Amino acid sequence: MSPTLTLYELNTLVREVIEQELAHEYWVEAELSEARESRGHCYMELIQKDELSNTPIARASAKCWRTSWMMIQPHFERVTGQQLHAGMKVRLKVYAQFHEAFGFAWIVTDIDPNFTLGDLARRRQENIRQLKEEGVFDLQKELALPLFCMRIAVISSETAAGYGDFCRQLQESGFAFQTQLFPAIMQGEQVEQSIIQALEQIYTLHATRTQFDCVVIIRGGGATADMSGFDTLSLAEHVAQFPIPIITGIGHDRDECVLDMVSHLRVKTPTAAAAFLIEHAQQVLDRIDNYEQRITTLFLLVKTRQEARLAQTAQRLVGSISRRLEQGRSKLNTLDTLFSTLIPHLIVAQRHRLELLEQRTQSLDPQLLLKRGYSITLHNGRAVRDAQELKAGDEIQTRLDKGTIQSIVK
Amino acid sequence: MKYEEALKKLETIVSKMEAGEYDIDELTEQLKEAQKLIKLCRDKLTKTDAEINKILAKGE
Repeated sequence: MSPTLTLYELNTLVREVIEQELAHEYWVEAELSEARESRGHCYMELIQKDELSNTPIARASAKCWRTSWMMIQPHFERVTGQQLHAGMKVRLKVYAQFHEAFGFAWIVTDIDPNFTLGDLARRRQENIRQLKEEGVFDLQKELALPLFCMRIAVISSETAAGYGDFCRQLQESGFAFQTQLFPAIMQGEQVEQSIIQALEQIYTLHATRTQFDCVVIIRGGGATADMSGFDTLSLAEHVAQFPIPIITGIGHDRDECVLDMVSHLRVKTPTAAAAFLIEHAQQVLDRIDNYEQRITTLFLLVKTRQEARLAQTAQRLVGSISRRLEQGRSKLNTLDTLFSTLIPHLIVAQRHRLELLEQRTQSLDPQLLLKRGYSITLHNGRAVRDAQELKAGDEIQTRLDKGTIQSIVK
Repeated sequence: MKYEEALKKLETIVSKMEAGEYDIDELTEQLKEAQKLIKLCRDKLTKTDAEINKILAKGE
């Protein structure tokens, strides 16, 4: 029977065996179930799940000491655009360490960011494939952004500089944009749930009270920040099927994330999102200005044309009146000529007739007969034509050319 | 959508005007309509809903 060992002695044995038998470094593929930093060191929990049942078939702790982590972290985050987080697949260079007091751990001396990048890309591709299969991938693209896109629901972190810039830019544009903020966490693991919640709030409000013309999801800067939350299937499904056009401006340098792909429009930054909305409004305003200009031009033309027509009509009227006047005048002239020849003629004829009458009247004057020696016998003032009318004693007068004779009949 | 319809209506009026489809009386009427539509659309872009409602209230 072997002697009883203290725990320290036993652990020392384990350490010595491990140091001898596992003296090399190994590359290992695993999934992180946890990752946290403490005092500059990085502590990870590694896991391997059964591909079919998804149940863990291996687990181990891993540690990356400060001196290594200082070198590894910036490189890893620059290449992948992400921080280490649970659920991430990693390829680590490790050696075994067993410490009498702290137990077993893999000590990490390097991390291969390209492996993680590849895995993320593969998972992104998988999400994209599924979204396409579900027939929702292009749904947002089929929505039309309203021409009058003025009421804007904004999903952003309240304190983000990008949000402030966005609002200020819209305000200073001179257009009457109305924004309403739906605060959400735009960093880390809560991104998915937080944005989905904000979308649900917007949808409820949109269906009941305030209508929105579009939704803008913005996040201010930080190229190395963790973008994995924007790649998840659930978030993409919510965005893709949202009934209002969604514009994303979540500012990152690497390839489009899935959220960008399914949104109505992807721009790089919050500032670019504001610029787009302003440009959109400006285009509509330009259209209105153009119509107004065309109407003005048209009316100037119509006015000129009408004035010309009026002037022409007036001229025709003047022409026709003066023609009429001319006709009247010439008729008058004709009459005038007629009268001036006819009237003297008539006067002469009348005078001639008068002269004839005068002559005839003169020839009948009894004074002429008296002059020639004839006389007129009067009885009681009447001419005597028959001697029988008279009896003896009647007093008669005989008128001669000169003087009168009084006689008594015998 | 109301404003998009207004803009489309404006576009139709301008096209018809340019095509000479209105006589002089109709033209005057359509001009008034067009001016109304222009103001409506421009206000939507440059005035907030509250301001627009105030304008509408004044007009009644």
